Amino acid sequence: MSGSDRPGVRWYRALLRLYPRSFRERHGEEMLRLFLEKAEDAGRRGPSARAVHAGTAALDAMRNGVGARIEVWRRRRRLAGTPMGNSLRGSEGGRGMDSFWKDVRYAGRTLMRSPGFALVATLTIGLGIGANTAIFSVVRTVLLQPLPYEQPGELVLLWGEMRNRSVTHFPMSPPDFAKYRERAEAFDDLAAVFTFNASLTGEGDPVQVTAASVTPNFFDVMGLTPALGRGFVEEDGFPQPANLQPGQPGALPGIVVLSNALWQQRYGADPGVIGRTIQVGGGPSEIVGVMPPGFELLMPPTAGLQTDADLWIAARIDYVNAPENNVFLRPVGRLRDGATAEQLQQQIDRIASEIAANNQIKTTAGYAIRVESLHEDLTAHVRPTLLALFGAVVFVLLIACANVSNLLLVRASGRDRELAVRAAMGGSRSRLVRQMLIESGMLAAAGAVVGVLLAAAGIRLLLALQPDDLPRIADVGIDGIVLLFTVAAAALAAFVFGTLPALQGSRVDLADALKERGSAGASSARRLARNAVVVAEVAMSLVLLIGAGLMVRSFAELTRVSPGFEADGVLTFTAAPPFGSYPQAVDRANFMSELRGRLEAIPGVEAVSTGFPLPLTGQFFNGRYGTEEALTDPEAFGQAAYRAVSPRYFETMGTRLLAGRTFSEADNADSTAVVVVDEKLAEILWPDESAVGKRFLIRAVTQEPEWVEVIGVVEHQRAEDLGADGDETVYLTDRYVGSFGATWVVTAGGEPGALVGAIREEVTALDPEIPVADVELMQSYVDRAMGPTRFALTLIGVFGAIALVLASIGLYGVLSYVVRQRTAEIGVRMAFGAESGSILRLVVGQGLGLAGAGILVGLLAAVPLTGFLESMLVGVAPTDPLTFVSISLVFVAVACLACWVPARRAAHVDPVTALREE
Amino acid sequence: MTLHDNDPAELLPLTPVAFDILLALLEGEAHGYAIMRAVEDRAGSGTSLHAGTLYRALARLVETELIEELEEPPEGADERRRYYRITGLGRRVAAAEARRLDAQLGMARAHGLLGSA
Repeated sequence: MSGSDRPGVRWYRALLRLYPRSFRERHGEEMLRLFLEKAEDAGRRGPSARAVHAGTAALDAMRNGVGARIEVWRRRRRLAGTPMGNSLRGSEGGRGMDSFWKDVRYAGRTLMRSPGFALVATLTIGLGIGANTAIFSVVRTVLLQPLPYEQPGELVLLWGEMRNRSVTHFPMSPPDFAKYRERAEAFDDLAAVFTFNASLTGEGDPVQVTAASVTPNFFDVMGLTPALGRGFVEEDGFPQPANLQPGQPGALPGIVVLSNALWQQRYGADPGVIGRTIQVGGGPSEIVGVMPPGFELLMPPTAGLQTDADLWIAARIDYVNAPENNVFLRPVGRLRDGATAEQLQQQIDRIASEIAANNQIKTTAGYAIRVESLHEDLTAHVRPTLLALFGAVVFVLLIACANVSNLLLVRASGRDRELAVRAAMGGSRSRLVRQMLIESGMLAAAGAVVGVLLAAAGIRLLLALQPDDLPRIADVGIDGIVLLFTVAAAALAAFVFGTLPALQGSRVDLADALKERGSAGASSARRLARNAVVVAEVAMSLVLLIGAGLMVRSFAELTRVSPGFEADGVLTFTAAPPFGSYPQAVDRANFMSELRGRLEAIPGVEAVSTGFPLPLTGQFFNGRYGTEEALTDPEAFGQAAYRAVSPRYFETMGTRLLAGRTFSEADNADSTAVVVVDEKLAEILWPDESAVGKRFLIRAVTQEPEWVEVIGVVEHQRAEDLGADGDETVYLTDRYVGSFGATWVVTAGGEPGALVGAIREEVTALDPEIPVADVELMQSYVDRAMGPTRFALTLIGVFGAIALVLASIGLYGVLSYVVRQRTAEIGVRMAFGAESGSILRLVVGQGLGLAGAGILVGLLAAVPLTGFLESMLVGVAPTDPLTFVSISLVFVAVACLACWVPARRAAHVDPVTALREE
Repeated sequence: MTLHDNDPAELLPLTPVAFDILLALLEGEAHGYAIMRAVEDRAGSGTSLHAGTLYRALARLVETELIEELEEPPEGADERRRYYRITGLGRRVAAAEARRLDAQLGMARAHGLLGSA
């Protein structure tokens, strides 16, 4: 590992730039080493100590870097013979503290004199900066950080499209893959991957592993080499002779590279594993290498791949003779140096049209291949959420700034006399502005420290929400870049909340302010500024809360919608007969029915079945279907989701039967072509008649479409996503598709988790080589499917709540101030007979006027801004009138509350006291 | 460019960091990291000395000639580091600072701040 790769090196080098060049060149290297040595010490005490060290080192560099620069600057001026003129410099003069530090000290003392103000301002800014830091750390890791592959910008994915059937993420067949790899010149190379579950046996207990089958050039394309042993060579992917399965006599062994995690866990990190033979899926495989730690398969969820590969197998594929309709490869390509994605797309288009020209189905389906950047594709589904959240936290920070700005404006009014005195003593306006900006800067710096602490806690909470759909989310943390962002955010915040009060505050009318009654005539410009700030604050909070309201409605919609099954009390797990030891379909089918019988016999078990794929598990099994018409007109084919199930699947899953019957034991045979369809498909094919007894064409396991008969119609299951209706579905029997392994579903009278032990015993009794894996409640798949919405809802909800609190504090603060300012006027009014009710109305009216203006601006701004949330919303429009109206009402209510206390105070003003004060 | 005359009192009071560094260098030549360690390890110090503060203080002490940088690192030392040693003036200033602090402590003691007078 080279020096510049060490964590913190780039961070500290960036900080060193704060120092004057001469200082940096002289001491920089040693300072860096010292920093790293201390960072290592801190690292031993834990990540938070490390973060604190990085943070304090930043403050140290800011203080001393600026200090050293000032020293250099002063020395230059002195050498130039210029006298150090400084208007506010007192007797001290000459050598001593520079005026900057004097201002800093002065600002510190001023802030200490009103600790309440300093605390509130620091916490407010800290909240805003903390939210920004936390979300930025996520944005940085997920969206900005380059992928952990060599030259990741050159990596592209190829997606199959069937434009006439709305299919957008189709896999590729081996013969097509070979054509693209050979003919598209813009490729440096093209690799492919697919994943499957396999049992790993041989040493120790059998376990189920995720195997990624890859073309031998896969690691080269990704630009990675194994940490131990070798990667794959062309020969590792030679096809099996005569389609033998691994393990059969004459078959070639699988060639395997282990993931680092599996190597550590199962083989105790023994370097001697290289060359050893293990049993993967019942077939012998030779280990040739071990990947470095942290290597993961980063793929968008649309690829339907399992990304947590435990081992890598060189795919033995016969690219020439493999059937063209058998699609399962996910291609990943690397662009040749200098080639662009557009050039590649043009070449791919040409090849695709050649392929389609020789294939009628592809022609009619509107076959095409889309080239997309791996990184963009990987983050495409989360980008809108993260950007919306980032927008939300920017709003929170702006609202926080508005609040502090208002506090400063109010405070500036109270300080008129102090500022006037300073001005009278010869302080120039720019000096006063600087003085006030330094105060803002100190508040922002303190807020940044609070913010980093809040962000560290916030990131932990955020990870607890388990946003599993965010790629690389586990790597999120506070590092140097994030801290630099924090510093920048703090500087920007200081500028935003400090400028207006500083400019306003420094505009002091000497004579006026020094007179006792100066404060009564607060300038109208200042009042205007305060009001504008409050209106902006209310508007921004309203936008945020409308966003939160829309998310609440989406979440409610998700909880309300019926997924077409009852997840409650359903236990799922996998236990599949491996191809190696069960090469014949009939053996696999017998295993499945025997295990089903054993599981049903476990006391407490109510129903047992299998399904592949189960809803919401992220696996896909799709194919064509059509009526007789499709035989002559291939365009009449539609695309359906297929599901292979065992008898009693619908009963176990709680999916309602709408017509006909469900599968019986007799239906579960390889020769009986009967299917159950869902209501959606029945509606499409036979809109006005009963589907039961009808025949139609499917292509699931055979090369050519074949006729099947409908025996029943069931309720539609939402299988891909809870938020979307999903494709029409055809249910086949497990035996019909060849019993290639499915997920088990079990319901029990009591707590289904209590059955796991008994289930394992039964599986082991039947075949000790078969692992029970992926034990999960169906409900947890549902929870996970709601995860992204819950994540966005929680965060936007929290930010909206913060915004609402800040905005009401802002409104309250301004109104209290106004009441204080107008006490005398109110006293006069009351002395002349005004009722306390009318005073109440006066103050509340003023507050509501501000709130109303804010709400109006907010509503206008929300209409375009909520459009950014569109991809996250379920069953609700971005401009949902109900949300807009109800959130506005919430705001009116909160505004009334914020006005009430100052208004009551005003109404209870004693005219005599008020006038005497005057 | 010199900023001092030969009267050590002109340079008093020293900043705590500067005094700490001078004290550390009384034990012999040292580089920045060793000085930091010495300052941080000193009983009751309890402070964390960051790189910026340390090196700026060192630069200032060199400038005022209270310490000087070795032209060549000592035998067997790490060649990539700069080594410093205290000058005669540095010793006198440190001693003057110590006396000043001692006088202050004497006052504190006299007023019973440190227990028995």
